[in-house]
Amino acid sequence: MKQYRTILPFIKQHKSRYFLGILALIFVDITHLLVPQVLRAFADWMQKGELNVERITFSALAVIILGLCVAIGRYGWRMNLFGTARKLEYWLRAKLFNKYLSLDDSFYNYHRTGDLMAHVTNDVLMVRNSMGGGIIMIIDSIFMTIFTVIMMIYTVGFKTALIALTALPFLTIFVFFVLKPMQLRSRRVQDSFSEMTNEVQENISGIHNIKAFGIEDNRSRSFSRVNQDYQRKNIDMMRLNVLFDPIVSLISGIALVVFIVYGVYRLLDGSMTLGDFVAIIDYLRLMVWPLIAIALVVNSFQRGIASMTRINEILAVKSRIVESTAPAEVDLSSVKIEFRDVSFRYNNKSPWVLKNISFVLENQKSIAILGRTGSGKSTVLQLLLRRYDVNSGQILLNDIDIRDLALTDLYRAIALVEQESFLFSRSIARNIAFSSSDDYDSVKVRRSAEFSQISQDIAAMPDGYDTWVGERGVTLSGGQKQRISLARAHYKDTKVLVMDDSLSAVDTNTEKSILKQLKKYQQSLILVSQRVSTVQAADQILVIEDGEITQRGDHVTLLQDTEGFYARLYQRQLLESELTKEINSIKQDNYLKEDNSSVY
Amino acid sequence: MTNQEKLNADYEKEQLESRKNFSLKRLYGYALPHWKKFLFVILLIIITTGLTLVQPKLIQLLIDNQFPVLSDQTVSSAEQNLAVSATIKIALIYLGTLFFAFLTDYGQAYLLQATGQEILRKIRQNLYNHILHLPTSFFDHYPLGSLVTRVTNDTETLNEMFTSVLSNIIRNIFHLGGIIIIMFLLNYKLALLVLFLLPLIIFISIVFRKAIRKVYFAQRRVLALINTKLSENISGMRTIQIFDRKKQTEKEFNQVNQEYLDLSRKEVKYFSIYRPSIEVIQSLGIAALIWFGSKGNMQGLISFGVLYAFINYIQRFFRPIFELSETFNLIQSAVTSTSRIFHLLDEPIESVGGNLRISKYGLKGEIEFKNVWFAYNEGEWVLKDVSFKVEPGQFVAFVGATGAGKSTIMHLICRFYDVNRGQILIDGHDIKEYNISDLRRTIGVVQQDVFIYSGSIADNITLNRENVDYKAARKAASLVNADHFINKLPQRYREYVTERGSTLSAGQRQLLSFARTIAAQPSILVLDEATANIDTETELLIQDAIRNMARQRSMLAVAHRISTIADADNIIVLHQGRLAEQGTKDELLTKDGLFKVLYELQFSQIFK
Repeated sequence: MKQYRTILPFIKQHKSRYFLGILALIFVDITHLLVPQVLRAFADWMQKGELNVERITFSALAVIILGLCVAIGRYGWRMNLFGTARKLEYWLRAKLFNKYLSLDDSFYNYHRTGDLMAHVTNDVLMVRNSMGGGIIMIIDSIFMTIFTVIMMIYTVGFKTALIALTALPFLTIFVFFVLKPMQLRSRRVQDSFSEMTNEVQENISGIHNIKAFGIEDNRSRSFSRVNQDYQRKNIDMMRLNVLFDPIVSLISGIALVVFIVYGVYRLLDGSMTLGDFVAIIDYLRLMVWPLIAIALVVNSFQRGIASMTRINEILAVKSRIVESTAPAEVDLSSVKIEFRDVSFRYNNKSPWVLKNISFVLENQKSIAILGRTGSGKSTVLQLLLRRYDVNSGQILLNDIDIRDLALTDLYRAIALVEQESFLFSRSIARNIAFSSSDDYDSVKVRRSAEFSQISQDIAAMPDGYDTWVGERGVTLSGGQKQRISLARAHYKDTKVLVMDDSLSAVDTNTEKSILKQLKKYQQSLILVSQRVSTVQAADQILVIEDGEITQRGDHVTLLQDTEGFYARLYQRQLLESELTKEINSIKQDNYLKEDNSSVY
Repeated sequence: MTNQEKLNADYEKEQLESRKNFSLKRLYGYALPHWKKFLFVILLIIITTGLTLVQPKLIQLLIDNQFPVLSDQTVSSAEQNLAVSATIKIALIYLGTLFFAFLTDYGQAYLLQATGQEILRKIRQNLYNHILHLPTSFFDHYPLGSLVTRVTNDTETLNEMFTSVLSNIIRNIFHLGGIIIIMFLLNYKLALLVLFLLPLIIFISIVFRKAIRKVYFAQRRVLALINTKLSENISGMRTIQIFDRKKQTEKEFNQVNQEYLDLSRKEVKYFSIYRPSIEVIQSLGIAALIWFGSKGNMQGLISFGVLYAFINYIQRFFRPIFELSETFNLIQSAVTSTSRIFHLLDEPIESVGGNLRISKYGLKGEIEFKNVWFAYNEGEWVLKDVSFKVEPGQFVAFVGATGAGKSTIMHLICRFYDVNRGQILIDGHDIKEYNISDLRRTIGVVQQDVFIYSGSIADNITLNRENVDYKAARKAASLVNADHFINKLPQRYREYVTERGSTLSAGQRQLLSFARTIAAQPSILVLDEATANIDTETELLIQDAIRNMARQRSMLAVAHRISTIADADNIIVLHQGRLAEQGTKDELLTKDGLFKVLYELQFSQIFK
């Protein structure tokens, strides 16, 4: 049960509701136990022929009054206990979601979306059930059992009560033996369910791919495997679960038979009346629910514990990125960024991704990072945005280590445009303003859209800026997504703009206009690309090969090292266009001079 | 419209839809093949119910016939001994009913669960297969999260329909019927008295049912919203964090979470009123029995045993009604789930195409567009009267500004969408004549968005296709120079990669996608802006490989860079959905057309 420590604050906060609910529940239990006493008296009066109008009226009224008490009490505990359980569900769901918001990329690289969703929906539900119905069953099974036994002893004496209850321990033994395998099977079912959710989620997201390759049958077979597994696990669990009710009925029935056989002799010697007999049968009947409750309560808490364990595992994850508790004050009116001897690798066993990277980006200057696929150039940006922390060296923003900054300040200074940008299913305007409500500056949204050359595309859409993006709206092309993503970054109005190869799907014409816009705007710029044409106008160009800066300088300087990566790449990209001849006709000097006034 | 009004409107709509799509017959059509098992289950339920209902009658016999003799001290001991043995005999019969009821009850429950699971598996599989075969256009408008919910959660709700609901209904109806019959046999006056309470209970149940149904409907809607928000926010977590939108996202999530809580509270409240009110009626019933029964007893008409049996039955009488009313909510959600599932199953699936099969040697690769018009949404033409021809083995490149319709042409060739007007011919046949799977197998597409399946690198290349083995995968990988990075991975071809593919860079993902396409040796190769994410060096190597591949097959490519298409046999320039010009690079350059403008843009960018 120590797994439930997580929800202790909630329980403390709502202790009065729990208290009231439990009190009402106990009240209902006791009231319930008085009904057989009324019937007992009634039976004895009837048998002895002592019934009169007064006694009949008394019996009938007593039954009605007790019934009303039960009803009122029941309303009380239901509202308090079930109501609070729903509140707990809400509380736990919010807590998990907030945890998700705080976790970093290293967490999301290793956890599947389907699993993470299952925790917030299924696991939270299991905990809710254990804390609602579960608590009720605990109280019922403890108080009902104790009170019933007391009432039985009061009615027929210790010995008879004991004999009537002989079958009880067998139920406990049965429960004891069956619960471990039940918990195990329940967990297997839940795991299998996540497996299935993942399979569906993954494949439906990749439906275009499936269609393009015509592999529907193969995907169907793959699903069939998890589907069958889920069925098997369910049947395994059910085989055991459905044993419960029949066993409980059987054992409580046997208790009744034992009591009848023994009761015959008590009737014979006159030490028990018909009224006593009737009352005991009723009490034995009332015992059935607490006995089932014992079985269910353990089951419910087993499931709850299994779910709670999974939730706790998530809540215990420490984000590797720890925000400083006393963040440094920083003035963001101008921003200077410096990498000082930065080295990085994902973990102790993996190879270095970046080695001794150093550079300085002054305010309103531009820097470009050029390198091959996998050379580590994007990792530079990841580190700057503190998606990971450096292993050695320092990244400084206005001479303050970014680890000493509040993350909010860091993200206020820098806006990122990713290569594969994520857009949300909301209107285009809300995507650009990154807002879930209409609480944004629509003039600024339009300006940002014009800046990133997407305004014309938007104008052509059915609802303009209110067009819904994504699943329930328009399907955007890669280039349109990239430009909306750029508009979003521009709307943020930061001192530094970081573009991670983010115009790759935009056509040349548009790319050129965007680069021109960027030049006009007073922003520091970090550009990651694989193309000389995109980066050549930057104030400073870094060439990264296998995690190390192999060349640095501006376009002109870099070209002078004719054997260097930059010049070779440059040549290759010229060759690539198969326009070598035309190039030769242009004088090298001329073209190098022009470079300084290029697109930025 | 206020929120509540909107909710009501949604509710009405859902009601209408459920009427349209839901048919119990259709749902239980899935159960039909198992009718023998169900019949057996029903038989077992009847036996169990009968055995259980006999039990109070046995007690009544004891109370009326044996106990007076036993507790009467004046009766002779011989008579008393007779009564003792009769009591023991009845007790043994009681024991027998217990054991038999145990066996039949367990047998029934197990058989029902096993059968239910089997049916569920089948429905899930059908549904999933159906989704796989829906046309591409369907996925442009249907939220992904909801599709996942359909296959997993909605079928799970149906599980209840086949197991709890079915057995509850049968058991409780037999139970009720049995009790009513026994009561009439015991004493018809008291039985009529008890039956008077029935309309009251049913009335309360109907009122409750109406109220709770609305709540459940709203709950499911909000739950789906929670799921969508979760899925989206988890996928976009990085963006949320970088844009420092955690607080807003939290607030936004809290809003739906709170909405769900409010509905939950309503649900709890309704139940808190309903259950106790039924209980009050039950007490009234018992009080009435006591009142009228004891009057009858005083006149010598009703024995205490009978009265006691009635009190016992009245308690058993309300339980089936309890359970049936609890079954309401299961049925409610099952009805909604079923109507959603059937709604989806009623979506027309993609055509399987014509009867024309393509041999394993593939096609020649002659493609012709004849006056093709196409619009994703009615009235918004994306392609207007486009005609061109690709000879077998030709390399044709498509250029044009974003949105000119280049990618659409690629989609149409694979028949992801059907043309609105005009015709597309491949090897002289309308593509509608071909079997669609054959067609897509024969056309290799490299898409803009690369999708990585959870599995090994090798699996991601073969995709478990029959015509692609491990050897072909390796060969393809080396052909597109993907083996270079694959061999650097710790597990090489066995390296596990995931859907999010975060361990692979965008360039690597695209190399994988190339290998995947080329491994199947397609007759026609379609590149849809496929080289956007690859660095120049890799791109050159790939182009080299593609050039080799293109020797044996037709190739169509959309590209932004003039360089990619420099050695195309034919360049088609699209402008606002129309074919603006076509020809080889040199031909187009001599014209003073659009291509020249585009070309110069590229040109100037390279030289500036």
